[in-house]
Amino acid sequence: MAKEYSVIGKSKVKVDGLEKVLGTTKFASDYSLPDMLYGRVFRSTVPHATVKKLYLEKARALDGVEAVLDYHDIPGKNRFGIIIKDEPCLVDDKIRRYGDALAVVAAKSPEILEEALALIEVDYDEIEPIFTFERALEADAPIIHGTTNIHQVKHLECGNVDEAFKKCDIIIENVYSTHRLSHMFIEPDAGIAYYDDDGLMTVVASTQNPHYDRNEVASLLGLPYNQVRVIQAATGGAFGGKLDISVQCHCALLTYHTRKPVKMVRSRSESTMVSAKRHPMTIEAKTGATRDGMLMAMEVKICSDTGAYASYGPAVITRAMVHCTGPYSIPNVRADATFVYTNNPMSGAFRGFGVPQVAVCHEGQMNALARKIGMDPVEIRIRNAHQIGSKLTTGQILENSVGFIETLEKAREKAAEVLS
Amino acid sequence: MNKISISLNLNGEDRVIDVFPNRRVVDLLREDFKLTSVKEGCSEGECGACTVIFNGDAVTTCCMLAGQADQSTIITLEGLAKNGELDVLQQCFLDEGAVQCGYCTPGMILTAKALLMKNSSPTEEEIKVGMSGNLCRCTGYEKIHAAVKNAVEIYKQKLEQGGESIG
Amino acid sequence: MKKRGKGVGSMWYGIGNTGLPNPAAAFVEVLGDGTANLMFGAADIGQGSGTAMAQLAAEALGITYEKVRVTWGDTRVTPDGGATSASRQTLITGNAVLKACEQAKGTLADVAAAYLGCQPEELDFSNNMVTKDGDATVTMTYHTLMAEMKTAGKMAVGAGYYNPTTTTLDPEDMSGIPYEVYSYATTICEVEVDTETGEVDVLKVVSAHDVGQTINQSMVEGQIEGGVVMGQGFVLMEEIEVSDKDGSIKNPIFSKYIIPSNLDVPEIYPILVESEGGPGPFGAKGVGEPALIPIIPAIVAAIEDALDVRFTKLPIFPKDIVAAVKEKETDADNGVLN
Ligand code: FES
Ligand code: FES
Repeated sequence: MAKEYSVIGKSKVKVDGLEKVLGTTKFASDYSLPDMLYGRVFRSTVPHATVKKLYLEKARALDGVEAVLDYHDIPGKNRFGIIIKDEPCLVDDKIRRYGDALAVVAAKSPEILEEALALIEVDYDEIEPIFTFERALEADAPIIHGTTNIHQVKHLECGNVDEAFKKCDIIIENVYSTHRLSHMFIEPDAGIAYYDDDGLMTVVASTQNPHYDRNEVASLLGLPYNQVRVIQAATGGAFGGKLDISVQCHCALLTYHTRKPVKMVRSRSESTMVSAKRHPMTIEAKTGATRDGMLMAMEVKICSDTGAYASYGPAVITRAMVHCTGPYSIPNVRADATFVYTNNPMSGAFRGFGVPQVAVCHEGQMNALARKIGMDPVEIRIRNAHQIGSKLTTGQILENSVGFIETLEKAREKAAEVLS
Repeated sequence: MNKISISLNLNGEDRVIDVFPNRRVVDLLREDFKLTSVKEGCSEGECGACTVIFNGDAVTTCCMLAGQADQSTIITLEGLAKNGELDVLQQCFLDEGAVQCGYCTPGMILTAKALLMKNSSPTEEEIKVGMSGNLCRCTGYEKIHAAVKNAVEIYKQKLEQGGESIG
Repeated sequence: MKKRGKGVGSMWYGIGNTGLPNPAAAFVEVLGDGTANLMFGAADIGQGSGTAMAQLAAEALGITYEKVRVTWGDTRVTPDGGATSASRQTLITGNAVLKACEQAKGTLADVAAAYLGCQPEELDFSNNMVTKDGDATVTMTYHTLMAEMKTAGKMAVGAGYYNPTTTTLDPEDMSGIPYEVYSYATTICEVEVDTETGEVDVLKVVSAHDVGQTINQSMVEGQIEGGVVMGQGFVLMEEIEVSDKDGSIKNPIFSKYIIPSNLDVPEIYPILVESEGGPGPFGAKGVGEPALIPIIPAIVAAIEDALDVRFTKLPIFPKDIVAAVKEKETDADNGVLN
């Protein structure tokens, strides 16, 4: 007999709900400490360049400015990234996108801070910027990282795709494209760093992953992990956009040098400019089926631009590949994906990691197929749906908890009731 | 630039402060009066996170200068709960699950409050139009609408029982 | 002219990181008065993982929800929870919480069994009481239990971590076990398209999600509603524009990057489907990302149905609708069959 649950399944009031309706919840920008400094980043206004000279002296000389730092001031490692450590805290070798961080400033007031930033100048040696997938792959294109602009290539294969297509009654071919999107969480990124009473470097930040942040701050400052404490402030929405390092390392570096609390609050446009975006994708798809709507084969090619840094690109490419068939059993599948680096804004994690993009394709194909053979779109899905015992393109057998057909049936039932 | 003296009634208390005339009201409230329930999301009057009740209207404070606040009456979310008791709207937001990240919540509740102070029994359409200046990226707004509708009902019952009015 | 159409979209979503270890951990202590402290790394970003974990711990320990105090996302206090991403926290931190609670409960059950004169396995913990299965008279309150614990000099503490069972994917063909479990969903929606202005009004949305087991119904509905509206923005309203001169974002602010307001919201009917046997806590899976996905192809399909035109390029802005309608009319005038 199934046990009756006493707590789960119930709509309990949220543990942090009361403070949120009272307005007492502290988000990162709500923290203030005695002697606190205000910090901000000086950013590049070109997408691809080396820095010939950075003029920091005037800003440093300004009254009320407590630190103006560039990469020379980093005591530890100047690279972060959740999967591939390719993004600098402050640019050392070259600028790879508009808005790359060149210097950080801490000052006694936001007004002085603004004045100091206006005093910083930079001379660039510009490099041809790469803005398209195609250009990134050309032989004479400048290289953004390492030795190639190919970020990652993936190949997935099961069954015998070419043979299977020969036997299909119907083949549907399309090219889909999806665009670059922004999370637009309502709270712009923010954080504050300080040394706590035990002398521990502490960062309170709006984040989706405080333990990762801790490791990156420690590595930047050359400290053991347990000498850094990161506390997640109440976080005003994220959707994947607060998985990368935002202000954590910059704040911590300024506190490291000034020994004072430093708060950084990004403006809306700074936040949108430099946080990761959804990967735009081009997806070519060829789907083969029998006359009665059974899927036989699928071939998919995915191309995407991960922008200037890897961020969660490797997670997006892998997930997009695994999910590209949709929730259907297709015995013969071949998929290829290529992601490139460009000097565009960084693409990364955004609610779904590439699955919304491939869903536009696999569902577009299913709907086109249903129309072509004159079958109800729910029916054709049921016919091909994953169920217990289904074998995925990766060879995995589904053993439990596969409620797909029930979602189709329940949605159809409810739609019949409420849609016109 | 010289500082000017501003007098205002803030959450029921008369306050006087000297500020630069170009200080934004959002900074006046958050920095000078430490009322951090007032949030900043866009700084261009688009998101509604910085909404307060200003002379009875829901107003965004990120594009408003301190001078405009002189002789005004301002209510922030800190001023809504009375003697530790939640305002009906606060209770309804909590009970309906209208709060996810909570960053839009202060502005949402205050916009609804200002709306109900003017019109104690708004229609569904009036609620929607009245709240359309406040963005929420988390909830899809459904539970926010439900919370406001519930609050309207509860206020109505209270009024019928001769209880307190909304303002 | 206004034309209506309906569309279907489905999706699947592997829970957790793809083919990689991605563990999370939790600590628990049941205190002398029968309340509990629960600590875990998982960041709550508004979706409600903190609440879900409190509910899971309360259920597992057999105490009421209000008695659990949670602390999360503080690296000095809480163990690593990994990223709040990949819709993974309910499954992974959730299982870690259950493991921690089981460990604490082991000690509690020994002491309770000795007191009640039965076997630890025979005990049922719920609603702040410990009762022998099938015999309501053999029972004790948590309060008494904690007093017994004190006398015995024992502590109800637990630590647990969980890592989903996956394998590294083969570099040649990506075979392997990428995820331990998958969420599924289907969305059906109805739209009205104004063929002159190109405006698309999403009228009604039915969205059915296989969540394994619901932990908090209101929160799951909230995820689905939020996802539906974000999906509307995805298809119909939002696009980041990048300058081809300097690679900067041309519309980084809300006045230029328009997200849905409350006036855009359709009638939304969330449906929760439960499916058995999954590896998650009480069978629960993730819904955070699934909530967004199926509405996207469903809206595209509904527009196609309304206009009898194919759309393979997103976003679909009013100008794209107007252009498509015009093209279709021209084709018809020229005798091209669609
Ligand atoms: S911060 Fe004032 S409206 Fe957005
Ligand atoms: S609850 Fe997050 S923005 Fe509204």
